[in-house]
Amino acid sequence: MSEFPQAVENYLSQALRDRAHPLLLSFDAQWQLTEVSGAAGYHGLEQGGPAELVQQLQDLFLGLPLDQTQDLPFVELSDGRHAHVHLVPDANDTFHLLLLDASEEHERTQSQQQLGNQAVLAGLEKSRTLARLRQIKSELEQQRARLEEANALKNALFATLSHEFRTPLTSIFGYLHLLERGGGEGGRAQALQALRRNASHLFALAENLLEYGRSEAGETLLDAAELPLATLVDDLDAMFRPLAAEKGLALVIEAGEAPPATALFDQIKIRQVAINLLSNALRYTPKGYVRGQLGWDGALLRLEVSDTGLGIDAASRARVFKAFNRGAQHGGRGAGLGLSIVKRLVERMGGEIELDSAPGLGSTFRIALPALGATGLPALPQEQRRRGLDALIVDDDPDVAALLEVLLGDLGATTRVASTAAAALAEVGQRAPDLVLVDVELPGLSGNAAVFQLRSQGYKGGIVTVSANATEEARRAALAAGADHYLTKPLDFAQFARVVQSLGERAAPP
Amino acid sequence: MTELARKICMLGDFGVGKTSLVARFVRNTFSEKYLTTVGVKVDSRVVDLAGGDRMKFVVWDIAGKAVLDSLNQNYLRGASGLILVADGTREASLRAALNLLMQARDVLDNPACVLFVNKLDLVERWEVAPETLAEMRHSLPVFETSALSGDGVEAGFGELATRLHA
Repeated sequence: MSEFPQAVENYLSQALRDRAHPLLLSFDAQWQLTEVSGAAGYHGLEQGGPAELVQQLQDLFLGLPLDQTQDLPFVELSDGRHAHVHLVPDANDTFHLLLLDASEEHERTQSQQQLGNQAVLAGLEKSRTLARLRQIKSELEQQRARLEEANALKNALFATLSHEFRTPLTSIFGYLHLLERGGGEGGRAQALQALRRNASHLFALAENLLEYGRSEAGETLLDAAELPLATLVDDLDAMFRPLAAEKGLALVIEAGEAPPATALFDQIKIRQVAINLLSNALRYTPKGYVRGQLGWDGALLRLEVSDTGLGIDAASRARVFKAFNRGAQHGGRGAGLGLSIVKRLVERMGGEIELDSAPGLGSTFRIALPALGATGLPALPQEQRRRGLDALIVDDDPDVAALLEVLLGDLGATTRVASTAAAALAEVGQRAPDLVLVDVELPGLSGNAAVFQLRSQGYKGGIVTVSANATEEARRAALAAGADHYLTKPLDFAQFARVVQSLGERAAPP
Repeated sequence: MTELARKICMLGDFGVGKTSLVARFVRNTFSEKYLTTVGVKVDSRVVDLAGGDRMKFVVWDIAGKAVLDSLNQNYLRGASGLILVADGTREASLRAALNLLMQARDVLDNPACVLFVNKLDLVERWEVAPETLAEMRHSLPVFETSALSGDGVEAGFGELATRLHA
């Protein structure tokens, strides 16, 4: 290729110089600047001197060979401008650094690149938003289905109640009419017995309805007190003996050993459990006996109710504890709430329920209840108490932290408190607790960030996240970060106790 | 007391926060505005090491890319350490960071590496799972960072300094 005519060469050289404002810095082998030529003024070297630029260039070529040609495009200089930086080696280990201004070119390229990158990021955000919307839609549909089911259950409840209330009320009004008409002593006694039986039935029905309503409204703390076992058994006996006698059934209600004064229980709830079980047993036992036993076995309070009634087949045993499932026992009457309430109350008290039954062979319900702590939370099992469950509370509100310390202490746990995510990580780093309770809203990094870091650093203990945010999205975020449970404020203490216990069991050695 | 100088390259997909992490480390500043890096910006900071030594970090903030092209390979030459950066809210950026590490190992001889998973302040939106990072810790040091709050940044650079000094 022939060379350009000299006039064109000159023009080209001038045009390139005008655009690139070349600056040449020449150095010896020890990075001593020996000469500056070119657009020194344009690059601001006349005011400040080259020291800062030289230092920056020295950093730029750290680790790079100075005896080879180098081309580093779009280098941002300390004054914010951009240059293509070329290294040109010369004789005797000297070298030159040629800076060609690239500010305009950088601006153009940067703005194109920025648009492209932002479009990609916006596309990602769009698909995420669409996925979130799909999720919300699906959750709304599930919620609608749940509401429709609840509505159907409510309608079923009203229909059942209408029948269940009318039947004893019809008897009550009928016998009242007979009493008003007068009659012999025998008829009067029979009428009063029938009135008592139907009134008791209405009372039990009303109690169960109230309990059902309470469960819908949320749970409260249990009422822990000493249990007058003998009195309770006597009351139950007095309540059910007339009904058993009327049906010709043998009824035995036995009081076992009373729990020690230090073992506390919620008497009202235990009574409610016993009433439901005994009333069911008497209702579904046409002949034979009903037997109840209540006593302390040294570690747990045990209630057993057995009968020689209709029995429950295997398929129905799972359903029998669900509300509105009275069909599980043939020929049943009642609102279908009794056993569901029994199960819920037992679980609230931290206990367990078992059922042995077969059609025609009667049923036996066995309940085991641990003693409650002083604040009304079920106490930890002995093994965990002995070990001393170690819990870390992460909350910046000292009042909340102190409350959690009391509640956890009552559950037999020892506690430590950290008020920030960083402090929590440091605490766990020093000694890993069995359980971490963390508030989402912390100063600085959120509780979720702390949980994520704990999990990514291999912490395997239980984590409970607590937050005032009750949205599904907040719950999902906490669980995705690694929490085992998500509880919302204000705390439901009974639920709190259950969660702590379940995590405590996980922490306990097998 | 000796002062060592080491070239460190920030590697990661675009928009993961490399420039913001450097700004937090070198100047302790943060800007919400996203400005795509084109080319390279070199910054430096001297850090104190155990035993009274000091190390000058010469940090190369390179334009973000998911794969290492020839230009970026050129930028990597002479680097002693790598900071791989991923964005916790974009799982693909974590894969990109690991991919970049494999490619960088073809260019550099056994560089010291740490992984920064950035945007910890947005942890509620993270796609990267804690188990994934727990697994990764077996093969390289991992730091959850937030250029916005500064969390994890000093610790991550400190770990790299320790590895470079060893």
